[in-house]
Amino acid sequence: MRPDTPPPPAAAPLCRAVSRHADPEAAVAELGEALDHPALGGVLFFCSADYPLEGLSRALRHTFGELPVVGCTTAGEISPSGYERGCIVAIGFAREDFAVATALVADLDRFDLLAAQRLVDDLLERCRPGAPAGAERFALTLLDGLSSREEQVLATLEAALGRIPGFGGSAGDDNRLTRTHVYAEGRFHSQAAVVVMVATALPFEVFTTHHLRPLDHKLVVTRADSATRRVLELNALPAAEEYARLVGVPVAALDAEAFALHPLAVRIADAHYVRSVQRVNPDGSLSFYCAVETGIVLTAMHPAPMLEQLEAVLAGLAGRLGDPALVIGCDCFLRRLELESRGELAAASRLLARGRVIGFNTYGEQHHGMHLNQTFTGVAIGSAPPA
Amino acid sequence: MACTSTRLSPEWPLDPRRPPEPGASPEALAAENDRLRRICAALIERVEAGGVPHGGPYGAFEHSVLLAEQVRERTETLQRTLAALERSRAEAEAANLSKTKFLAAVSHDLLQPLNAARLFASALEGQALPASSRRLVGSIGRSLKDVESLIGSLVDISRLDAGVLRPDVASFPAEELLGVLAEEYRQLAASRGLELRYVPTRAVIASDLALLARVVRNFLSNAIRYTQSGRVLLGCRRRSEGLEILVGDTGPGIAPAQQRLIFEEFRRLGTAEEGDNRGLGLGLAIVERIGGMLGHPLGLVSRPGHGALFSVTVPYGERAAPGAAVRDEAPEPLAGARVWVIDNDADIRDGMAALLGGWGCRVACAASPEALSGPAPAALLVDYHLGERRPDGLAVARGLRERHPGLPVVVITANHDAALKAHIREAGFECLLKPLKPLRLRLLLGALLEAQRPRRSAR
Repeated sequence: MRPDTPPPPAAAPLCRAVSRHADPEAAVAELGEALDHPALGGVLFFCSADYPLEGLSRALRHTFGELPVVGCTTAGEISPSGYERGCIVAIGFAREDFAVATALVADLDRFDLLAAQRLVDDLLERCRPGAPAGAERFALTLLDGLSSREEQVLATLEAALGRIPGFGGSAGDDNRLTRTHVYAEGRFHSQAAVVVMVATALPFEVFTTHHLRPLDHKLVVTRADSATRRVLELNALPAAEEYARLVGVPVAALDAEAFALHPLAVRIADAHYVRSVQRVNPDGSLSFYCAVETGIVLTAMHPAPMLEQLEAVLAGLAGRLGDPALVIGCDCFLRRLELESRGELAAASRLLARGRVIGFNTYGEQHHGMHLNQTFTGVAIGSAPPA
Repeated sequence: MACTSTRLSPEWPLDPRRPPEPGASPEALAAENDRLRRICAALIERVEAGGVPHGGPYGAFEHSVLLAEQVRERTETLQRTLAALERSRAEAEAANLSKTKFLAAVSHDLLQPLNAARLFASALEGQALPASSRRLVGSIGRSLKDVESLIGSLVDISRLDAGVLRPDVASFPAEELLGVLAEEYRQLAASRGLELRYVPTRAVIASDLALLARVVRNFLSNAIRYTQSGRVLLGCRRRSEGLEILVGDTGPGIAPAQQRLIFEEFRRLGTAEEGDNRGLGLGLAIVERIGGMLGHPLGLVSRPGHGALFSVTVPYGERAAPGAAVRDEAPEPLAGARVWVIDNDADIRDGMAALLGGWGCRVACAASPEALSGPAPAALLVDYHLGERRPDGLAVARGLRERHPGLPVVVITANHDAALKAHIREAGFECLLKPLKPLRLRLLLGALLEAQRPRRSAR
C-alpha cells in the first residue's frame, strides 16, 4: 500500500503516512518505512480503537525507539485520502523545521494550576534547544474523551500556556462509548491527557469552525447532574422527551444521527457553542459530551451546508499561509455522521485530501482552552517561511 | 422511561410568538404554570451561581469562553490601536519631512537674495552719505543680518528635530575647544568692559567637537550679552559622570520660574542691551536639542541678582596613546589646524569662526594683528580692507610672514580688480573673492595645509 498520495518531496518538513494493515506489527512497520527520515524529530498518530493496543504499543516502541511518539484512539481517521476507518495515520516532524516536546498528564483529577505551570515550563524548556530561529509555538492536547474532565483540565492548561495558542481533540472509540485512550511514553492511557508543544518558524494558524446556525427554540435545563454530564429535564419535562419533540421523532428513534442533525448550543455573548448530546439514558435523561448545569439555556441549532463552509475555511487558510504543508484536523465525529447521512462523505474526503488534512474524528475539540463540540478545529502549517 | 407527555401543551412554553389558547383546560393551564415556575427557578439558580469563578466544569468552560473572548477583543483593540499609531506616525514623519524640505528650500532660496541685500547695504555704507542716511543704512544691514541668523537658526532647529544632523563623537582634550573659545570671547568680553576668566583643564572628553562648540559658544555669548558689568567665567568641574563645562556670569540672573522656559523656542529675557545682536531666542532651544542628541545633560543654577551658571556635562574620552596627537589621526588636514582670521567686521569674524570651527579648525579671530600672539598658526586668513587709516590686509600679511616665515596666507577681498589680485599673487599669497564660497575656501585651505603637513607634525 502506498504510504502517501502524492509522495512528499525528500526533504519535506512534514511527512504523512497511513497504514490500513489490521495487524499492529505490520501497520507500524509500514508507518516506520514511510516516515523514515534521517532527521525525524517526533511522531503524532491517530489509530482506530479496533487495534489491539498492547500490540500496537509494543510495535511503536520497537520501531521508533526513543523518539517522542504520541497519539490517541479515534472515532474515524482522516488520512491523506480523506475519511477512513480501521486504519492508523501518522505525521512525522522533521527536526530542521520543528522542535517537538511531549508530556503526559496521567492524573486529570489532580491537574491543578501549579501542575499545569510545571508541565508548560518543562515543555518550553525541552522544546527550546532544537527550535529553529524565529520559531513560534503552539500546543496540541489529546484528551481521554470519556473522562468528563476536559473543561477543568483545559481551563487550567490554558492559564499556564498564556499566549501560546492551543487546540486539540478528545480521543474516540468508534461510537462504542466504552473506553478511549491517549498514547505517550510508550503506552496507552485512560483518564489521561497528552500535551504536545511544537515550535516552528513555518507560518501556522490555529483555527476552529462550525456550520451550525441558531433557531428560535430555547430549552432551559431545569435539572442536571453536572458530575455525570447528564441533563434530566429540559423545560421542566423529561429531557429525552422534550428533545425528541424538538426533533420531531419518538424518543426511541433518537440516535447519533439525530444528535448530529439537531444540535443544541449555549449562547455566550454573541457566539453559540454547540453542546452535543452523547446518548439517551434509560431514565429519560440525556448524556452530553461536555459540561452541563441546571439553569443553562440551550438553543436549538440547524446545520448550514457543511461542504461549502469547509471549502471556504480551507481556502482562507491557504490564502493566508500559502499552500499548507499540512493541516492537523480534529473533526467532531458528529460532523462525519452528518456527512454520511447526507451522502456527502466522499465529497468532503476530496476537500480534506486537497487541503492536506491529517487528523481524526473526535469526541470533542478544544480551542484556546474551550471545550467544543461539533466543530472542525486544528492547525494549518504553511510549507514555506513568510517572505 | 416516561414517554407520555401528550396531555401537556405540545407548544413550546418559551415561544413568545405562541398564540394564546382560548380553549385550554384549567388542568392544562395549571400544568403549564407549574413548568414555567420550575423553568424560572432553574434560571434563578443559574443566575445566582453565575458569579462563582471556576464553579464546576460548566463554570470552567464559561470562564474559558469569556477569557478567549476578552483576549480576542483585546487583541483586536491592540491591533486597531497599533494600526492607528502606525498611521499617525507615518503622517507625522511625512509632515516632518516636508517641513525639513521646506526649510531647506527656504534656507537656500532666501539666504541667497539676503546675502545680496547685505552686500548692497554694505556697498551703500562705503559711499559718501549724509550722517542720517548712514545710520539708516546701518540699521538696514543689521536687520538683514538678524533675518539671516533667524533663518539659519530655524533651519538648524528643523535639522536637529528631523534627525538630519548626526553627531560625530570622538575623544579630544577639552582644552583644544575651551582654550580657543576663551581666546576668542576674551576680546568680545573686553569690548564690553567685562573680564573673561578661564581656568584650563587637562581632561579628555568624548563629544562632537563642532556641536559642543555651539553649546559653549551660546553660553558665552549669552553671558556676555546679558551681563552689564563684572565677570564671565569659563571653567570645568570633574564629576564622576563626566566633565562639567561651566559658564558663569555676574549678570542679572534668571528667576526660578523662568529657568525652564528659557530653553523653549522664542523665549528671551528682557535685559539685553538695545541695539545688540537681536536673535529671536532660539539659541538655548538649539542648545537643548544638541544636549539631548549628544546625551550631555545641561544645567542651570541662578538666583535673580546673583548671576547665572550654565553647564553641560560631557563624558570623559579616551586619552590618545602617548606621542600620537589625537587630531593628527584625523585624515582631514583641517582638523585641529590653528587658523588666524583678521577682519575688522565682527560679523564676518563670527561667521569665519563658526565655519572654520565646524571643519575642526582651532580658530582665533581678531580685528588687527596686534591681538594675535603665540606660536605660528597653520594658516592666516586676512581681509584686504581693514578699515580707514589702517594698513591693508596685504601689509598685515607681509608683516606676519616676516614673523613666521613660510606662513600660508589667504587674502580675501571684495575688490574684483584683476590688478589687485595679481599684486596679491606676486606677494606669494593666495587670493579669494567675496562673497566667499565656503567650499572653495575649504579646498584651498586643505591644499595649503596639506603642503605644510611635514612641518606641522614636527611642531
